[in-house]
Amino acid sequence: MKLRVLRARPEHFGGIVELERPRALLHVDRRMMRELGHADSPLWDAPEEVDARPLSAPTEVHLVLSRRCAAGCTGCYVDATPQGAALPFSDACRILDELAAMGVFHVALGGGEALELDYLFAVAGHARKVGITPNLTTSGLGLDEKTAERCRVFGQINVSVDGVGEGYRRARGFDGFRHAERALRLLRAVKPEVGVNCVVSRSSFDGIPEVARLVRRMRLNELELLRFKPVGRGAALGEELTPEQARRIYPLARRLMWRHRIRVKLDCSFAPMVFWHRPSRRAAAFLGVQGCVGGDVLAAVAPEGHLMGCSFWGPPEADARLPGAMPAAWASGFSGFRDFVRNAPEPCASCEYLRLCRGGCRAVSAAHGSFAEPDPGCPRVQEWRAAHLPPRTRLPLVRA
Amino acid sequence: MIRGRVLRATFGCNPNSSSLGVDVTFLLFGAAFASALALVLGALLRRPKAP
Repeated sequence: MKLRVLRARPEHFGGIVELERPRALLHVDRRMMRELGHADSPLWDAPEEVDARPLSAPTEVHLVLSRRCAAGCTGCYVDATPQGAALPFSDACRILDELAAMGVFHVALGGGEALELDYLFAVAGHARKVGITPNLTTSGLGLDEKTAERCRVFGQINVSVDGVGEGYRRARGFDGFRHAERALRLLRAVKPEVGVNCVVSRSSFDGIPEVARLVRRMRLNELELLRFKPVGRGAALGEELTPEQARRIYPLARRLMWRHRIRVKLDCSFAPMVFWHRPSRRAAAFLGVQGCVGGDVLAAVAPEGHLMGCSFWGPPEADARLPGAMPAAWASGFSGFRDFVRNAPEPCASCEYLRLCRGGCRAVSAAHGSFAEPDPGCPRVQEWRAAHLPPRTRLPLVRA
Repeated sequence: MIRGRVLRATFGCNPNSSSLGVDVTFLLFGAAFASALALVLGALLRRPKAP
């Protein structure tokens, strides 16, 4: 078997190659790039240091197509409404053209509810045309057989299921589980790359095993657990994980993987909760297990055209609709995200996982008052503050 | 002759607003697995195309 390379782009350490099967992105050194037939890049003039600099472009971009959604979920992080703003089709296509020229491999199309946009499939088709794999997150509301068939254009599709049955209603504020389950069945009938996104909050935590059973029963290809972040409509809900839940999430994910033989992923904001259990640093580095990669691996474009390091938080770095604005901003912007490791305060500064964890989730830190502070949901940060700071000077931590 | 190396591998596509994050499935197997995977992927990348 020979691995088929779909695309490759040079980086300061060598390059990134995209494989068709298994679907993967490989970071390879300069020697390997040469062995694969690529000419030397000007990026290789500097010494070959892995992780010394941000990538030359993000590998994936979250394209928030709209803040438009009829569902009205109580914790929606983009504060979507039925009449919310949307990125026009022509702007979306032009942005995709520029991302393709920058060498971006994947886009995550979302919102809002992207399926409510009549041009969603045209945007996905355009992404394919310029060599970018479009992926989709959807609530699945209103998805029918015809629409499911058209979803073949996407790479991975995840349906949001934050709980099963009554658990769904409690988490999202409306009774939509049957619609989500039907959407999963229709999508699974046309493609294997269908999974579940489950937002893990204080009240949905105990329902995760039921969601894992659903993933197993429907033969889905992944369960992605996403940490609840107190942004958008979720800011005032008080649904952040308790310290005990934060310590339990990684062992729980491992147990569900073994028990149900399913692929379980935790989003980047869970990195501190994983590293607290001290997994192999070498394995984590090789498998791309990282905390905040905003402004490095990841970027986001908001419906208003703002280019940001992450769709949950970050100052607008450029107007992505203006030709040339994204590559220019990428070259010199995103300092809030990129400088954290260099300027990390304690206890991150002395943490052996700092270069991987990168201080946890910047959006959560910002929601608690300071973007430049360590993630207050990190168990190590909580332990350190309890030991070093008198109670009245501690930052408002996640409540027990 | 020193051969080129695979430095990192991330599998699958990410449909989410946050990044690919932690793949529990593979992280569980530890550093030895990662080293072996790097070698296998490197060998399969280099392998000449079948005629």
